[in-house]
Amino acid sequence: MDIGGKPIDLNMAPRATPERHEPTHIAALGVVAPPPIQVQTPTFDGSLGLLFQCVRDHKVDLMDVPLAPICEAYFLYLLDSPSVVLDEAAAALIALAYLLERKAWALLPVVEPEPELEEPVELPSPTVRQYDAAIEALQLWQEERSKSYFRSFESGPDPYEVPYTLKNVSPSDLALAFERVLRRAKPDSIEPLGAARKSLAEQMGIVLKRIAREWLSLDVLVPEDVTRSEAVYWFLALLELVRLGQIGVRLTEGDVEFARAA
Amino acid sequence: MNIVDQLEALLFVSDAPVPVETLAMALGGTEGQVEQGIEILEARLEGRGAVRLTKIAGGYQLSTKPEHAELVANYLKPQRQKLSRSLMEVLAIVAYRQPLTVTDIETVRGVQSDYSVKALQERRLIAEVGRKQAPGRPVLYGTTDQFLHQFNLNDLSQLPAIEPDDNRVLAIVVDTLSPNEKNESI
Repeated sequence: MDIGGKPIDLNMAPRATPERHEPTHIAALGVVAPPPIQVQTPTFDGSLGLLFQCVRDHKVDLMDVPLAPICEAYFLYLLDSPSVVLDEAAAALIALAYLLERKAWALLPVVEPEPELEEPVELPSPTVRQYDAAIEALQLWQEERSKSYFRSFESGPDPYEVPYTLKNVSPSDLALAFERVLRRAKPDSIEPLGAARKSLAEQMGIVLKRIAREWLSLDVLVPEDVTRSEAVYWFLALLELVRLGQIGVRLTEGDVEFARAA
Repeated sequence: MNIVDQLEALLFVSDAPVPVETLAMALGGTEGQVEQGIEILEARLEGRGAVRLTKIAGGYQLSTKPEHAELVANYLKPQRQKLSRSLMEVLAIVAYRQPLTVTDIETVRGVQSDYSVKALQERRLIAEVGRKQAPGRPVLYGTTDQFLHQFNLNDLSQLPAIEPDDNRVLAIVVDTLSPNEKNESI
């Protein structure tokens, strides 16, 4: 190694030699080039600035370039040079810091990529689409079956049959009536956790006691002072009783009315 | 009284499919004798009258002939509800993969299916058939005799094999239909 004309034996592969010259403005490190420290290794021969560029652009493998002699040459440059240009010294420091960081990262153990599962996750087979033909088959059989009438299945309640008729009452009529009740219902008070809850069956009993043969609107049927959750219970119980055929429902002048089934 | 008349009498009063063993027990004969009698009765009913013998849900039952379907329907006015696509999907999965849990169904469908399972249970097309020996012991579901009856099946072996992109399934089904129904479906 030769710094400023004074030979220095670093016993290392790279030779770093600072040379005097006018500051050069290059883009690699911004606007100021590092000092002309020459590096010579089996894989790279050139200035510190060029080494920086080559490493940054992945043209030189930093693992083959010992950095200690270059750092030492930099110190010698700082100590021996009669007039160190501060910008150049800072640029060299940045270049060295960059090279050291890159090398440090390169020396860290490489994280092994996560091994792929030996057996890829299998989709359920057959998939739902593969049941399409079966569904088509079932529909055809159901159609065929609908042309035959058996003694019991048509005489008794057929599970396919809706056991009640809503006549002219639509779900939206029911929803509107329920909305009116909910609007006047009081907010629920805070109940302690674990408090006993009323079952729907219990509520159905209450509704059956209240309902009579005469037709009553939901507004009249549901007590005035109900809370919102009680209103929901009332409505659900009414729907369930209608479903079971215990209660009839009709639409009169735009309002839904309920009465005990005949 | 010969065995054929006796079979007709028993089947006339039966309100559910009657298995051959039950008929044999009632008649005091062998299952072979009953099967022979059923063959004769079947042929006899096909040739005359408005009623036919149907092998359904693991037994035999008398039903009206399809040519009278419209007349009977006008008289009884049954309110049939067709199963929605999602219910049919769940029903087909249960039929083919039973016994299975709701989670198994959801794995195949990729969507929540507890509502469909409940709806099919209410229609008595599927039912609990046990508990899975797994954490939480989830309920296992299977199809019912009602399912066989509603879909005109004698047993589950009649379900067509599921093979991807196999159009033979439809052909198998069409083969099971009567000539008139074949023409309609084609």
